[in-house]
This record gives sequence, structure tokens and C-alpha cells, in this order.
Amino acid sequence: MAAISAILIVLIAIWPINNTLAVAATSDYGIDALFKFMLYFAAPIFVFVNGYVLYFARRYKHRRDEPADAVGIPLYGVVPLEIWWTVLPALLMVVLGIWSAVTLFGLYKPQAGALNVEAIGHQWKFELRYPGLKSSFYGDFYLPIDRPVTMNITSADVVHSFWVPQFRVKLDMVPGMVQQLHFTPTQIGNYPLVCTEFCGIGHGDMRTTVHVVSQADYDKWFSGEQQQVAAASASAGALNLAAGVVSKGQAIFEQKCAVCHNMAGFAQKKVGPGLQNIFSDPAHPKLVDGSAPTPEDVAGIIEKGYSGDIGVMPNAQANGLSSSDVANLVAYLKSQSK
Amino acid sequence: MTVHTEALGHEHGHGHGIMTQEEYIEQRDTRFLGFLLFLFTDSIFFTAYIFAALYLRSAAPVWPPVGVERPDVNLGAVNAILLFGSGITAHYAMHRLKESRIAGYIWFTIATIILGSLFLGGQAYEYAHIHATWSGSSFGAAFFTLTGLHGFHVFVGVIYLIVTLLQSLGGTYTPERHFGLTAATLYWHFVDVIWVVLFFLFYIY
Amino acid sequence: MSTDTIEILRRTEAPIHPAPESFVRKYIFSIDHKVIGVQYFIVSGLMILLSGLFAEAIRVQLTAPHNTFLTPQQFDEAFTFHGTLMVWFGAIPMVTGAFGNFVMPLQIGARDVAFPWLNMFSFWTFPPAVLILLSSLAFGAPNSGWTEYPPVSLQAGVGIVFWTTAVFTVGIGATLTALNFLTTVIKMRAPGMTFTRMPLFVWASAVTAVLSLVATTALASALGSLFLSHVFNVPFYDPSRGGTVVLFQHMFWFYSHPAVYILIIPVFGIVSEIIPTFARKPIFGYKLIAFSTVSIALLSFMVWAHHMFTSGLGPWVTLPFMILSMLIAVPTGIKIFSWTATLFGSNLRLTTAMLFVLGFLSTFTIGGITGIMLASVPVDWHEHATYFLVAHIHYVLFGGTLMGVIGGVYYWWPKVTGRLMSESLGKWHFWLTFIFFNATFLPMHFVGLLGMPRRVAYYDPAFQGLNLFISISAFLLAGSFLLLFVNAFWSLKKGAAAGPNPWGARTLEWMIPSPPPYYNFKETPEVYATPYGYGEPLPYSAPYNSVSTTPTY
Repeated sequence: MAAISAILIVLIAIWPINNTLAVAATSDYGIDALFKFMLYFAAPIFVFVNGYVLYFARRYKHRRDEPADAVGIPLYGVVPLEIWWTVLPALLMVVLGIWSAVTLFGLYKPQAGALNVEAIGHQWKFELRYPGLKSSFYGDFYLPIDRPVTMNITSADVVHSFWVPQFRVKLDMVPGMVQQLHFTPTQIGNYPLVCTEFCGIGHGDMRTTVHVVSQADYDKWFSGEQQQVAAASASAGALNLAAGVVSKGQAIFEQKCAVCHNMAGFAQKKVGPGLQNIFSDPAHPKLVDGSAPTPEDVAGIIEKGYSGDIGVMPNAQANGLSSSDVANLVAYLKSQSK
Repeated sequence: MTVHTEALGHEHGHGHGIMTQEEYIEQRDTRFLGFLLFLFTDSIFFTAYIFAALYLRSAAPVWPPVGVERPDVNLGAVNAILLFGSGITAHYAMHRLKESRIAGYIWFTIATIILGSLFLGGQAYEYAHIHATWSGSSFGAAFFTLTGLHGFHVFVGVIYLIVTLLQSLGGTYTPERHFGLTAATLYWHFVDVIWVVLFFLFYIY
Repeated sequence: MSTDTIEILRRTEAPIHPAPESFVRKYIFSIDHKVIGVQYFIVSGLMILLSGLFAEAIRVQLTAPHNTFLTPQQFDEAFTFHGTLMVWFGAIPMVTGAFGNFVMPLQIGARDVAFPWLNMFSFWTFPPAVLILLSSLAFGAPNSGWTEYPPVSLQAGVGIVFWTTAVFTVGIGATLTALNFLTTVIKMRAPGMTFTRMPLFVWASAVTAVLSLVATTALASALGSLFLSHVFNVPFYDPSRGGTVVLFQHMFWFYSHPAVYILIIPVFGIVSEIIPTFARKPIFGYKLIAFSTVSIALLSFMVWAHHMFTSGLGPWVTLPFMILSMLIAVPTGIKIFSWTATLFGSNLRLTTAMLFVLGFLSTFTIGGITGIMLASVPVDWHEHATYFLVAHIHYVLFGGTLMGVIGGVYYWWPKVTGRLMSESLGKWHFWLTFIFFNATFLPMHFVGLLGMPRRVAYYDPAFQGLNLFISISAFLLAGSFLLLFVNAFWSLKKGAAAGPNPWGARTLEWMIPSPPPYYNFKETPEVYATPYGYGEPLPYSAPYNSVSTTPTY
């Protein structure tokens, strides 16, 4: 049995996981090594338990020439043996636990210069937001090779999950909460992005493709996206807060902002804080410079985005807002403030 | 009657080797243990929702959330005093019965029932005047679910006490045999203790 | 035992109630634990079958990547019913309600459970719960899986109301059964049966009862919150009103992780009974097996968040849950190794029951190892919510629980019915089930690792070959169970009379006639030693020490 176990372990050691399921991101190597480590000790446990069951079943089987009431040996236990098979697995689990913990903290570590992309789960599609792109889009998306990526994932409705099998990492997209996934794509290719958390009748079809491409191809795709968006919002003009229209602002708020914000007190947060009384509520933190925000401050936050201790908000480009949209929004927010 | 039961006494860990018939019957009396287990599993109900309340609280930036007011601590305190008072009267009722002072038992039990009912009235007043709704906020969700569950337990307790009172008027319980009464009293103390936790959770903490 | 003590026992336990005469009191509203056990067996057996049919529907759908056999809506209902029926209406009532009720009181030498009327009530929460659940098929079925995570489960409409009500109702019965069993084990053991002389199945039943008492009420709270969320719009799980969806996962798994131990610990008990009987030698390391059962139960309350490693708890919360989850491997390993060691130096009888238990040892070991893999957070990030997870849970619940249950059926069938089953048919049943079980669930590990999520009605065409293989194996696996039904009916009609102790076992239930009389034990037996001392005289007072321990099947 030791020989069979040894052969199995060697086979596991030389088995290239990469050939079975391609590895396409740096975060994977730790996970695959851990998986192999567990197979190493799983193999002898499996072989020895089954081997002894089969061996004992043949060796000690009741024979016809024995009396019908024959019994086995009166062995009630062997204490040293029992201590061994309590202590050894416990030690093994401690080793596994430490190794897993180290890998785990590595997975949570952000990398310098990472490309920050937002992925938002919807029933039943993935919405992507790139910095520098005016509007978000659904479906296929591109990542440059060898550049660290931080995926900020959340959901607009129910719990979804973000999983690229070739990247090995997966986290749930939880409404009301942003999680970050860190990885660096290392292999050019097209990989599936699938939702693994049940999210309704469209769950089975909630798949799209991640294209990992060279930096040049990525830039080409990115500028293409930019032009498309620019063409779509060519009519955008300069910011003029006085021209804001409350009703138009309300429409935009409900269409875009309401995904993350409530029109309610600051504490009534969805992903970001509630936005009622933003100009007067003392409970509202001073977002800009320590004083109560002015309409210009708020317009600036909508245009430039926000990143601070209460969360991250994409800029107007990423949100697909034109200057007049911003003005309308500020007008609406003013109308909702006491 | 005293009998020598080496096997019984020894094997059940009593060590003295002698067991009276009453002791043996008592050892086989399963009702008390069964009722304790029931109270235990019931307490898990509250524990789970208390955990939920604390979890919701930890997820909220301000507690209670903006726009929601805490219930009036004075009213809660009055309610707490009513319920503790009823716990004390329930305790004395039990004692009076064990001492065969039936009149005392009856009056203390009636006092318990009245105090319990006053508590329920206080709760109803609270519900009518609080500035929070069940569906409005996480605070309301936790507050109404937990106090509602507790109020339901108090209501059941009041009914239970009335039933035992009527039974004892009919002579069901004697100073020696009164398991139903023991259970009712135990249940009433259990409901008391839960209120301490809820009072702290919603009115003070 | 002195004559005085026997006199006391006679006087305190003289015929408690005469056997009922009417059909209704005898077979329907019976308070006899044996009849209630059989009632549980029949209803939960039917539920397991129904659940299996839903599973086969799932497998038919998955024979092709875009099959039109079921609509996605129907597919979602199918896997929801499969899981719900199997966990709450099939396996749990089977291992506690059926086996626990029939076997446990007999093994401790009692005439009944502590609260026979409560026992009857517990059972009668069960059929109405089944009706509530199944009637939802007519009004809008629940369709978000047996876990019913909000918010998606709250979109399902009225189905969630039926689902929560049904599971809540069956949960009341489960809690009361647990209360009943724990009181019974503590208070009603035969004189002389100390804790370390209890059969291991009794240990398992008592520990399961503790788990059930703590956890099932927590589940009731989770169900209640879901019910209130739907009916009264209470914002527990609505982030826009301060709720948080992860809260439900905490409340649900605080129950549902212990629940998988509620499912498996009684089966550990069954296995611990069958192995010494057919190895015809004492169980290896009795105390360590009992101790490991208790420690598994304790640990099971501290590991629930290992179902939520991808839900955003952060590294510092997941870390202790990961370590504790891995530690469960230690007591589980102790059991596997002790059972295997019991076979050493045995005089082994390879009956059908024993074959199923040996099969259990093989498949449950795989389920345990994949469990360790899923406990490691980084690996779980890849494997969570994929078919790898599906394979793991089926190796534990089918390869573990169901294999042990079938072994238990073959083992106690003669005691319940008084007739033997066909051993040759039984062996065919074992080999077919064992082979097709592995053919069905082993490949699921690979489809999962390669990227197929669970609960999908449509999948990537790249996985079609493996899925087709799995589906065909699953149909054959279902077919193999026909042999069990044939065997059961054959046994009821033509099976040979079993006698009190066909296997030559030594626990108390085999010391009385098969089927046992209404009062079980005319006189309460006294117990002098552990039941597993093969080769020694029976450790019971007369007349319970006069049964032959020579196998007669």
C-alpha cells in the first residue's frame, strides 16, 4: 500500500494542472500548490483505508470450516495507536492551516499600480466600469496582460458571484457591499467569467468572456470604447449649474445614482450614503474641506468621483454623465435639501 | 420503604448504594428535565434574533438609524419593574403552596397575573407611540420582532398562569404534587430574564 | 439485583398502558415508539424517493447543454425540491425519527421514549409539513435552492411562504423529538447502563438530540425572518433600509452546518453497531469513538462560516473558521481508523448490511478528504459553489448518510418485520449502487474544477461529455434501488422467519422477539457491561441473557 501511495504521490507531483485547466493569473499558483499538497496526503489516506478494508475483508472472512458462532479476537483498543492517529492528523491540519492562512492573506493584498475595474452583477449580466470610460457597458471585457488588476465587485439586485476558473479566484457580488479581488493576468487568451451563486432563472446563462490581451491590443480596445462613448455624448457642453432642471435630475438620479444611493438621511446607506439634506444635514460628514458643502463642491464630486473612508464612487465619465446631467443632478439634490 | 440496590445506586453514581422508592421514582421523572430542555431550546429563538439585532447594529453607521428614535426608556423601566414584581409574586405564590397556605398562593398568583397583564398593556402603549415601524428600518425590524416574540411569550405565560390557578381551585395541585405549577413559575422567570436582555439591548445600549 | 429492586421496577413500570385495540390507535395515532418509527420510515422513505425523482429530472435536463426538457423555472424548482426534501423531509426524519425511534429505546432497555404522546405529536407535524411543501407546486413553488438566500428567494413570491412554513413545521417535530430523545437517554436507561456501557448508536442519538435542540430553533429564527421579510416587508435583508443580506447566511448556516452532523452522526452510530456485529469482535476504541462524536458536535457549532468564505467576511473572520473546520478532520479520522481497525483479527461475515458499511468507509473517506479541501479558504475560492461542492456533499450525504441508512435497513429489517431479506439480491443491490454511485459523483469533482457552477439549467457545451456520463450513471444508480424494493416486498411475502437474533448481535434490541412485543421488555433488564464483548456471556440479567448469539441467517 505504501508503494501504491508513493506512485500516486509522484503522479500528482508531475501532473501539470495547467494542462487540465489553464492557469492565467498570478494569484493561482498558491492555490494550485495548496490543492496538490492536499492531494499528497489524501492519496495515502485513501489507499490505506481502502487497502486495509479490502485486505481485512479477505484475510479475516469467516470460513465455512469454522464454527458458526466463531468470534474475532477480544481486542478493545490499542492506546498508542489511537494517540498516533489523533496527533498525526492534528499536526497535518495545523500545517495545512498555516499554509492556507499565508496564501489567504496574500490573496487579500492589493498590488501597486493596479488597474481598478468595477464589476456590478445584475440579473443576469455583468456590468463593467473602467476608469476613463464615460459609461459602463455589459458583457465582454478586456484586461492587459501582466498588469495587476483590482476588481471592485458588488451587485445591483441579488447575490451573484464573480469567478474566472482560469484565474482560480472567486468572490460573491453582494448587494450593499463592495469586495475587492486582486490578481494579475499572465496568459493571453479568452476566459469565461461565470456567476456561481444562484441568482434566479437566468443563472445558467450568466456568463461572459474576459479577453486577456497585450497592452497594445488593450489600448486599441480602450480608445475604441472611448470614441464610441464620445460620439454618443457629443452634445455635452460646459458645466452650468444654474441651468439645472430638477425633474431631469430626478430622472437621472433614479436611473443611475439610485443603484448606490438612497434619497434619505446619510445613515440610510445602500452602497454609498443617503443623499437627502446633503447641503444642510449636520450628520452628513464634511466631504470636501471641513465646511458644509456648496453646490460646486457636490458637482465636483460627481464629476471627479470620490475615494475616501466612506467608500469609492466612480467619476462622471465612468457613470456616463454629461455636464448638463451633473447640473440637473445638483439642482435635484438642492431641491431635496431643507 | 428503603431497599438495598447496589447496582442501581452504584451505577448511577450516587455512591451510597441505598435508594428509596420515592428517589427511584423521582429519578425516573422525566417531566422536569423535559421542560428545562424546552426552555433551553426556546432561549435559542431569542438568542438568534438578539444576534441578528447586534449584527444589524454593527452594519449600521449610526444606531438607531437616522430618523428612528429609541423607545422611551422610562416606559421601558416601568415595564421592567412590573415584570420583575410579577416574578417576585410568582416566587412567593410557589412558596405559599409548598407551605400549604392556599389563600396566600391564590392572592400571589392573581397579583402575578395582574402585573403580567399590565406589562402587556405597557407594551401595547409603547407600540402605539414609538417613532419607528417594523418595515421602516433595521432598528424597527429588530425591535418589533424581538419585543413581539417576547410579548407573545408573556401573553402565553399569563394564560398559563390563569389555567394553573383554575386548576388549583379545582384541587389539581397539592404541596407534594405540583409539577404543572413549577413549570409555569419557571417559564415566568425565564420570560423575566429575557426582558432584562431586551431592555438593555433596545432602551440603553 | 435484589428481589426488592425488581419489586420496585415491577411496581413503577408495571404495564404502563395496555396495547391499543382499534386500528386508528394501533397504526395511525399510535404512541408506541416502534410504530412511530415505522411511520417515520415510510414517510421519509417516500420523501427520499420523491427527492430522487427530482434529482433524475435535473440529470435529464443536464444531458445536453441547452436542453429544453425543463424550463429554467422548472429546473430551479427541481433542485430546490431535491435539496429541501432530502435534507428536512428525507434524511433527517429517517436517521432520527425512524432509526432513533425504533432502535434507541430498545437499546437502552426502555419500554418507550420519555414522552410517548409528544412523540406522536412530533410525527404528526411531519405529514402536514409535506402537504404544505408539495402544495406550493400548485401556487408558485420556491425556486432558490434549499438554502433560499435572500434577496433572490424573496423574489420567488408566495413560494417562500410555503417553504418557510413547511420547514418550520417539520422543524417543530424535529425539536420535540430531540427533546424527547435526550430526556429518554438521560432518564430511562436500564439499571446498570452507565454512559460508557451505552451502545454507540445511543451515544449518537443523544448527541444528535443536543445538536438538534440548539440548531433547529436557530433555523426557525432564520425561517421566521425570511417569512416576515416576505409577508410584512421587514427589512432584515434589504440594504436600502439598513438590512444586510449576509445576516441570513449566518443565521442559516448556524443551523445548517450542525444539520449535516445531525444527518451523519446517527449514521456513525449505525455503522458502529453493524461493524462489531459482523466482525464479531468488540469495537476498536469505544471511548475514543464516543468522545470523537461529542467533539464533532461541539466543533460543528463553531464552523458555520466556512460556507461563506466568498461572502466577504474578510481574512480575519474566515481564518478561525478555516482552522476549526480543518480540525473536524481529526475526530472524523479517528472514527474511520477505529472502524477499519475493528476489522483486524475479526471473524468477518460479509452480509449485505456489512457490505454497505464497508462501502460507506470507502466513499465517506473521499467525502471527508474533499471536505478538508473545501475548508482551506484559498482552495475554496476556486471550488465554492461549483460541481466540486456538489460532489463533496453527495459523497458525504449519499456515500455517507444514505449508504449507512441502507446498511441499517438491511440490519434492522428482521427486527422490525420478523423476516429476513434475501442476501443474494442484497449483494447485487450493493454492488450496483456502489459502482453507479461512484460513476455518478466522482466525475462531478472534475466538471466542478474545470469551471461548471452548480444550479445551472444551461451550461458550457465543453462539459457535455462528462455530464452525459454522469446522467447515464445517475439513471442506473436510481435503477439499482429497484432491487431494494423487490427485496423488501419479497421478504414481507416470503422471507424466512428471523428469530430474535439472526445476526448473533449483543445489544438489547436483539434479546427480545422479532418484531418486539408492544411492551418491549416484560421486566426491565439489568446491564453489567458494555454490549460489545464478543466471546463472553451476555451482560444482561435473566431472562435477557439466554438468547443465542450464534448467527442464524
